[in-house]
Amino acid sequence: MLESRFMSRSETSASIVSEFLQLAPLPSARAAAARIREELDLLLYADIPKYTSEDTSLVVFGSLARGEWTSASDLDWTYLIDGQANSDHLVIEQKIRRVFEDNKKQFRAPSQAGTFGNMAFSHDIIHQIGGQNDTNKNTTQRILLLLESTTIGKNSQAHERVIKGVINRYLEEDNHLFVEDGTRYRVPRFLLNDIVRFWRTMAVDFASKQRDRAGEGWGLRNAKLRMSRKLIFASGLLVCFGCNLDSQLQKKISADKSATRLDLVNYIRDQIKLTPLEVLAKAIEQYGVSKNVGEELFRAYAEFLMILDNQPSRDQLKELRAADSRTDPVFKRVRKISEAFERALDLLFFENPQIAPLTRKYGVF
Amino acid sequence: MRLIGFSTGALTRSDFRTALQIMARTHVQAVELSALRQNELIPLIEDLNDMELREFRYIAFHAPSLMDCDFEPVAIKALSEVALREWPMIMHPDAMYDLSRWEHFGDLLCIENMDKRKPIGQTLAHLSEIFKFLPRASLCFDIGHARQVDPTMSEAAAILKCHKGRLRQLHISEVNSQSKHDPLSFESILAFQKVAHLIPETVPVIVESRVNEDAVDEEIQNVRKALAVENVLALAGD
Repeated sequence: MLESRFMSRSETSASIVSEFLQLAPLPSARAAAARIREELDLLLYADIPKYTSEDTSLVVFGSLARGEWTSASDLDWTYLIDGQANSDHLVIEQKIRRVFEDNKKQFRAPSQAGTFGNMAFSHDIIHQIGGQNDTNKNTTQRILLLLESTTIGKNSQAHERVIKGVINRYLEEDNHLFVEDGTRYRVPRFLLNDIVRFWRTMAVDFASKQRDRAGEGWGLRNAKLRMSRKLIFASGLLVCFGCNLDSQLQKKISADKSATRLDLVNYIRDQIKLTPLEVLAKAIEQYGVSKNVGEELFRAYAEFLMILDNQPSRDQLKELRAADSRTDPVFKRVRKISEAFERALDLLFFENPQIAPLTRKYGVF
Repeated sequence: MRLIGFSTGALTRSDFRTALQIMARTHVQAVELSALRQNELIPLIEDLNDMELREFRYIAFHAPSLMDCDFEPVAIKALSEVALREWPMIMHPDAMYDLSRWEHFGDLLCIENMDKRKPIGQTLAHLSEIFKFLPRASLCFDIGHARQVDPTMSEAAAILKCHKGRLRQLHISEVNSQSKHDPLSFESILAFQKVAHLIPETVPVIVESRVNEDAVDEEIQNVRKALAVENVLALAGD
């Protein structure tokens, strides 16, 4: 079988991989994200004691969830509900929004698209996958819930239930969980296709937003598409490929073929608890990717965060219009960084003997 | 065939005598004597010698689900009476304050996984942490709690696989959004079937669904459906 030809051999040790995650400013961005999440909890708790419950979670996305918080990051949040319908949920959501608005100098409001900064319901997220009713907002919430979300405060049960519900839903629709000889899990195609679709949707929406907003914010959006958006796509692919490649997971099958889907749900859940950068770091170690590739990838990403954390550079990107992109010095830097990032991703996805066959099989056609 | 019985608390709240009479009339062969509230513990233990329990092939004892810290030594001393009879004692992890005081009960101490209202004890990670402190304790797996915490049943599967050696008893009911124990619905039966094959036939099943006497048989039939392994294999066959 194509999916089982290559055995894992680690060429980049765990210590080297952990060095990648220590490249400046990655540790400070992680620490800042953790600190901000705690501050948000304290801030909310002071105004709205017990603002979440076992049926509701306050979920954050974006750089705050990825552990990549920089000085001017947006606060993308959703009040996630997985329980009985209750009109008080709206009251709580409005109070949460008010707390954030009162502190808008510290916490910048989510973007204008309306995907964040409101309530989301588990039923749509779990049931409406594909089809007419799977709106752009629903798809975005669902995929980002999987690939870059975490909770504020102690109550994370609703978040946890919904994530598992979504993963389970994807796996239920896959007819065969194993390759033909039953020795390995297949790549979960339904989930993978939705992640690929989301990546393409983000790219298409980039053009749509350019038109809607008359080019405003082009530079920053383009930089994010080249880097942070691409990062979550890459990490999503790696999580899906891991279902087939992870040798520890395959050992569980041979021991007990029962409850296979439930094991796979738990595996995917464990993987997406990692941040996207951690998923990449783990893949570099696990699949024997060369140190040079890992270094290029992480250096590029670290430099991107430095640009975002530098207020003048960020402002310049925000003001930049497409017409000036070839001459703007900050954007030229972004382009150079993103080319290095893409080159490293190309090597990871198209040259690594374990990953490349899966990229060719599942990534395009 | 699985041994299926009822909790006295499910049939009659705080009235174990009436519950035992119902069980005698309905020929239930397994029982869990329930003292869910702290003030029910001592009266129930004092009455143990006077109870007619010979018809039951399996007897377990449910300790209070919540206790004051001061009451913990009193409860431990009282429960020694139960331990002498070698009945499993079902404990909620958050009802214990000093785990070292409970260790001497060994595998008679049967730790139950919790519903979503409780601060601990819902997940495999929580339970594994508790068993580090109580290495000899056994597990009372509440399949209704597990479903409430994770409707996909993947957490349930993880717990059952990891702690299969500890599994001593099963609690079953449909745990609703208010964490009350309802009779099984078709929805919960489908969910339970997903992990039924991970529960050996020899593990006694205690029903916690709140039902009237005339619904006891029907509930037992539904429990049999929910735990029927032939259904599971049909569902899990990939």
